[in-house]
This record gives sequence, C-alpha cells and structure tokens, in this order.
Amino acid sequence: MAEIVLYNYELDESCYKVRLALSMLGLKWSAIAVNAFPGNEPTTPPFLAMNPLGNLPILKDGDLTLYGAEAIVAHLARAHDPSGKWLPTGGTDFAKVMQWLVFSTGELSVTIAARQNALFDAPGDQRALRMSSSKMLRIMDDHMIARGFEGDDWFAAGHATIADIALFPAFALSRDFGIDHDEYAALRRWARRFRTLPGFTTMPGIPDYH
Amino acid sequence: MMTTGVWHPIALSVSIEPGSSAGTHVGGRELVVWRDNSGVAHVWEDRCPHRGMKLSFGFVRGDHIACLYHGWQYDTAGQCRYIPAHPDLKVPRSITVATYRTAEASGMIWAAIESAESAAPALPEDAGEVVPIRSVYVDVGADALLAAIEATPPRPFGGTERSVAAKLQRVGAKLHSLAAGADTLLLGLQSLSDNRTALHVVVAGPASSYVDKGQAHFLAWTAELRHRLDAQSAGSNHITEAA
Repeated sequence: MAEIVLYNYELDESCYKVRLALSMLGLKWSAIAVNAFPGNEPTTPPFLAMNPLGNLPILKDGDLTLYGAEAIVAHLARAHDPSGKWLPTGGTDFAKVMQWLVFSTGELSVTIAARQNALFDAPGDQRALRMSSSKMLRIMDDHMIARGFEGDDWFAAGHATIADIALFPAFALSRDFGIDHDEYAALRRWARRFRTLPGFTTMPGIPDYH
Repeated sequence: MMTTGVWHPIALSVSIEPGSSAGTHVGGRELVVWRDNSGVAHVWEDRCPHRGMKLSFGFVRGDHIACLYHGWQYDTAGQCRYIPAHPDLKVPRSITVATYRTAEASGMIWAAIESAESAAPALPEDAGEVVPIRSVYVDVGADALLAAIEATPPRPFGGTERSVAAKLQRVGAKLHSLAAGADTLLLGLQSLSDNRTALHVVVAGPASSYVDKGQAHFLAWTAELRHRLDAQSAGSNHITEAA
C-alpha cells in the first residue's frame, strides 16, 4: 500500500478528525508535526504549494495530495474501507452522510472559529461565536433525539459513518470555548457510544475517561 | 415535622445513563447529577472539595464518581474514598461533597436541594408508566414559559385539530400536567436561573402507544414552543438594545 502521511498539528480539531479516521480504519500512517501555532507554518510557501488555503490538515496518500478534513476523511473511507460502512453508497445513507459532512464544513465551522478565538487569540466576537455555536450544537442534539426515537444511535446510518467522525470534535471540545455539555443529553449519549468504537483516540481537551 | 423546600426536577431519567454524569443548575446553584453503575441516581453540589473543580467534568467508575482534575474518588454518600496521589492514605472522614436527597418519579430525576435530610418534603407522586420526550432549555423564567405553553397547546397524538380543551394544571410544586385530547403530558419545570428554565417533558402512558411516532409528535410540539420563545426573547433583546 502507498504511504500515508498526515501534516499534523496536535491541537487542531480538523487534524483530529483525520487522526480519528486513520485510527478507526486501522490504517498505517505517519505524521509530520507542523508548527501551526505560534509559527503559522501552514501559511508559508512550501505549505501553500500543497494547500493554498494555508490551513491543516494536509494528507499525502501515494501520489495524491489532499486538503480539507472532510474530503480527506471521505477519501480514506472510499479508498481504504473494504466494508464500505464508513462511507455508505447505497440507499439514502450516502445522501445523509453528505448532508452532515456539508453541515460540518459549513455552519458548524463556527465552532472552529469559536475555539480558535478562545485558545489561540484568533479575531472574533466571543459572545456571538459562542451563541452561534450553541445553536449548531442544538441542531445536532435535536437530530439525535429524533434518531433515538427511531432506535438509531448514529447521525446518518444504522452504524457509525464518517459523518459521526466529522461531527464529534465540535461537541467533544465545546468546553474549550465555554459551552458545557449540560443541555445536550442526546449528544452526550452519542459521544459515549462514539468513544467505545474500536480505534477511538482522544486529543488534548478530550479526557481519556468515561 | 416541618418540611422545607420543594422537589426540583433535574433531568429526564433516560438522559443520565448508568455510569455517566452531567452538570446542571437550580436557581444559579451548580449541581452534578450522576448515575452509578447499579442504576441509582445522585444529585450533589458540583464541586470537588479539593480544588473546586466541577465533578460533572469527571467520570463514574462503579459506585464512585471521580474528579477529572486529580482523580479524587467519592462514594455514593459523598465521602472521599481514594486519593490517587496518596494511594495508601486512609482518607479523612471530613473530605465530603454536599449531597442532596434524590428520587425518581414520572420519568424524571428529582432533588430536594433546599432541605436538610430530615426535613425533605414528601416525594413527588409517581405517574406510573411514562414515555420520555425531551428536555427543552429556554431563555425565560418559569411563568413566561407556562404562559407560552398555554398559548401553544399541543395537538393530540393522531389528531389534527389543535385541542381547544388543552388544559394546563399544576400537580406539584414543579410539575404540571397538560391534557391534549386523550393524551397527557407531564411537564417538570427546573429554574436554572431567574431567566433560564428547563422543561422536562414526558407523556403519560405505555411505551406501546407512544414510542417512536408519538414521541416524534410531541418532539415537534416542543420545537414549536421553543421557536415561539426564541422569537420572544429575540424581540425583547431588540427592544432593550433599541432603548
């Protein structure tokens, strides 16, 4: 198999999505540590040549260079998950996974802005970022309450998919930007299930317990 | 014997799984609610006596809850039993967390937080079999929430007409019943602070009648109710800012 290399910053939740996918898929990979903070290395020319957006993660898989956590995770599932479960292609499961991946890269990215603001002094109105973030987590909680009524534990299918991987860090790290888990019972339940999946790993800000 | 205080609903019973914990508030007071592995629920002050860390950030192991900060472990009576940094130490009896009388009834976890153990009020009456809907969190006080509920009555499950006879009745200090046709919702009101309230919603009746479709029906009602209250508080913020 071609070599998989992740340009990684340990405290970056988008890199964490990729690390989760690599680990849960049971893949062999290596990481290159990048000085994202305070060095801002991803915005230097050698990195911009790989990702003009100047952020992480960046993945190399053989001849392929890819940026964007959701695209990377989707590629890993498509290329390296023979079971086809992590990115299902049949029925309505594919559409539902796509909907939550788009939500993750779109509206939910406000949680990344909130965390960058709280931890790394990125610009932004802390209160507004927190309010928008809690609204997005509420949408996720509402969805999982309804899923629970149907007897389903996961966001998009009857089993865990890359949608769950993409959505997990925003909730698991929400205390970093001042949002407690108190009012999101369905997400607490989901996160407890997620943590028991084979290959689950933590990152700074997500305790090893529970 | 004089009793003091009332029973406060703290969470839906299903929201606190065995071996898990969560933080919450009553009147601004910080509480941790947790369930040990044998299934018994506990409501305590949310504060480790060691360094003041929230116990709700911690984790449950068997019948102990452990602080995330330094791993101090407390038994179900709130007594510290183990300090990892001093594994051979017999922990002094004085290291305890404040605990509150806790009960479960009508699909909710209740706590008597104002009263001493001996002076707790009578247990909330149990409604028999109930099916959980959800907890809703809104930025208004309990009275405004009740007014909004009366203005947004649920339709009976299976019916299409909004029940004109929807009837809100106080059945306990913090518990209301809401009749909609043949259905009865039970509403637990938890005052998190002066202007934030949790509404714990269950429907009275057997699982066979309400699981899945009936739950989804009343879930949609809670969304409608919350939407109304969100619009209200957005409106009042607007007025405040304009003034």
